[in-house]
Amino acid sequence: MGHQISRRTLFRTASGLAVTGALGPALTACAGGTGAGSDHGSLTMTWWGSDERHAAYQKALATFGKNNPKIKVETRYSGYDGYFDKFNTQVAGGSAPDLLQMDTALVAQYARKGILAPLDSYVGKSLDLTGFSKTLLAAGTVDGKLYGVPSGIGVNQLTVNRSGLERLGLKLPGREWTWNDLKKIATDVYRKSGGRIYGVDDGGGSTLQCFEIFAREKGQPFFSDDGRKLGFTADTLQEWWEFWTGMRTDHACPPPAITSAAHNDLTKNAVVIGKALFTFDSGVYGAGGSITDAQLDFLPTPQGDFAGAREGNFVNGGVLLSATRASKKVADSVKIMDFFAQDPTAIKDMRLLRGIPPTEKARSLISAGLNDTDKRNMAMADYLSRRVTKASDALPAPVPPPQGANRIWDLLFQSNLAVAFGKKTIKAQLSEFFDQAQNILAG
Amino acid sequence: MTTARSDAAVGEEPAAPAKPAGPADRRERERLRRRAARRRGGGWWPYVFLAPWFAGLFGLTIYPMLDSLYLSFTDFDLLTPARWIGARNYTHMFSDDPVFWDSVHATLLYVAVSVPLKLALALGVALLLNRPLKGIGVYRAAFYLPSLLGGAVAVAIVWRQVFGGDGLFNDFLGWFGIKGQDWISSPDTSIYTLILLAVWQFGTPMVIFLAGLKQLPKDVYEAAAIDGAGTLTRFFRITLPLLTPIVFFNLVLQIIDGFKTFTPAYVVSNGTGGPLDSTMLYSLYLYKKGFTDLQMGYASALAWVLFLVIAGFTAVNFVASRYWVHYDD
Repeated sequence: MGHQISRRTLFRTASGLAVTGALGPALTACAGGTGAGSDHGSLTMTWWGSDERHAAYQKALATFGKNNPKIKVETRYSGYDGYFDKFNTQVAGGSAPDLLQMDTALVAQYARKGILAPLDSYVGKSLDLTGFSKTLLAAGTVDGKLYGVPSGIGVNQLTVNRSGLERLGLKLPGREWTWNDLKKIATDVYRKSGGRIYGVDDGGGSTLQCFEIFAREKGQPFFSDDGRKLGFTADTLQEWWEFWTGMRTDHACPPPAITSAAHNDLTKNAVVIGKALFTFDSGVYGAGGSITDAQLDFLPTPQGDFAGAREGNFVNGGVLLSATRASKKVADSVKIMDFFAQDPTAIKDMRLLRGIPPTEKARSLISAGLNDTDKRNMAMADYLSRRVTKASDALPAPVPPPQGANRIWDLLFQSNLAVAFGKKTIKAQLSEFFDQAQNILAG
Repeated sequence: MTTARSDAAVGEEPAAPAKPAGPADRRERERLRRRAARRRGGGWWPYVFLAPWFAGLFGLTIYPMLDSLYLSFTDFDLLTPARWIGARNYTHMFSDDPVFWDSVHATLLYVAVSVPLKLALALGVALLLNRPLKGIGVYRAAFYLPSLLGGAVAVAIVWRQVFGGDGLFNDFLGWFGIKGQDWISSPDTSIYTLILLAVWQFGTPMVIFLAGLKQLPKDVYEAAAIDGAGTLTRFFRITLPLLTPIVFFNLVLQIIDGFKTFTPAYVVSNGTGGPLDSTMLYSLYLYKKGFTDLQMGYASALAWVLFLVIAGFTAVNFVASRYWVHYDD
């Protein structure tokens, strides 16, 4: 048995090299240098984020180290780009970090593959989750087991360049606004700015903060509960793409070249480069750090104004902290999770850098030290999570997305782009989208 | 076998002479004896010195290649053990994967356009630099510089900035009153920015051309000059034919390199291969499949198809070379 395992490990280590071998040196940079051993007594922890978030983690961990001198934490961090590519390689090479920041969108995939450690046996003992709501914990729960501790409340908010709006003599829409209100104000932005600025970045291909909520307003989840099918219909997607085609025609949103440039690159986001005033990408503020000098404000994702429209917004878990199953230090990792969940200094250090803090207690702890924009952000999140909790017709919060979900989101983005560039008609692209998505989910 | 026998012969030699042994003879005998001993007993020494190379060959090339061949018949996802699925990766690739064909299309276009342009430019500049000019070394270095930066991520990042919507290139066009567009994020032009980047890095073939030009026999040119051949005639009748082995060498190398291009596509498109897969070069797609989409089995199959395609192109090149490459001898 031991022999077999060691052979398999060898196999996995070599596989990264295998592709590399066939390709020559082009890929060595990707495969090499990731062999971070985690068995040297210290616990390895990784996360992604902005410089601010890195600094906050480091500061909090310094405090943790003082109180727990026996647990040595070795930290590694980067931007989101390539973070999970690297994690995959490390898992394959048997050198995965003990503790990592996990994406709510990917937790199910890793949990089902047996990469993550279930945490249920620690809850109530070394892991204190008092004050965490059930909907919040759902973000880290896969098939009934907890695999990740949510760092905070994530709600879908649009980030608005308020000062830009005021300069054009326009007023911030109310919180209870609809998709048509968005269209109207975005068109106004274009007109009042003399065609220099578009209203909102193109949401036709964005998933999380956008289309998913639109579909939920129609009572359709993005994925079916078992994750084997899409939960929405072709009619819904068609209506969505037609809406955004109209937005592009009216210059309410920028042309596809701008949308395409911003793919995976926050610094090219339409609001950041000053080409739009509204964005669905919450990364512009918060985790990504403030890259724009403008005064920012926040709005919930618009609501449907058709008959029978339901509450489409939902609360998710910001980011998660997860431990890897192969780690020998799961208990120590849990201590760190507990520290970030409940310790006042950690909560104060992290502020809003991992989302709105998860508990009432934590929120009141940080509220004093917040700047104006942070306060607005928190107030909107608070308002929105209350609205979602009160809504009687809202679908339950989405289940953690299945494996291949990120490919489907990418497909949605590319499909919208194909329509926007005029390479495909909506009809043709629709059938291609559903064919491909089916393929991926069946795969 | 032959070496062993000649070793023995050398070894026996000292016994043969009948002359009384003088000091010089003794020294000579001693020298021969030692050489023989070294040859007989030290047969394995070279292999010790070669061992690191063998370890590299088997551990880092042959074994991973065979392993990847095996994995290409599995659904290996990097995280859980591989499961044998037969040729399904290969059939899926050719029948059911539009992105695969997008990447084939992008790669063929990239190779077909960039390689001839790059070689033509390299040869042109090499001809210009093959002159006794003052400070020629500086010029040569300057032209070679972009290739030194070659696969560097930094250059690709600069490329993004230069050809982006608000980039330098559009500023430059602006001086002439031309309104540019976002060259990188428009599906019709993005691949050409990558091609331009490849062509710009013509330094390596240029240096090889330059070395080739230095080898050309001067007397042929002198004879041609006496016969009244002009510059163009000399180039097409003498330089180019004599240079064909070098052209061939560069062509084979650049085609292989072109098929393997990864870094510029990855960086310029932000790892997306977009817009609309227009910069999805084959290697980038392979990387995405293996490390992002967790389909290492499929990625291995892609790698093998690439390997076979490159081998095929190289073989065709060699066969075709018989008809246009001229060797002196």
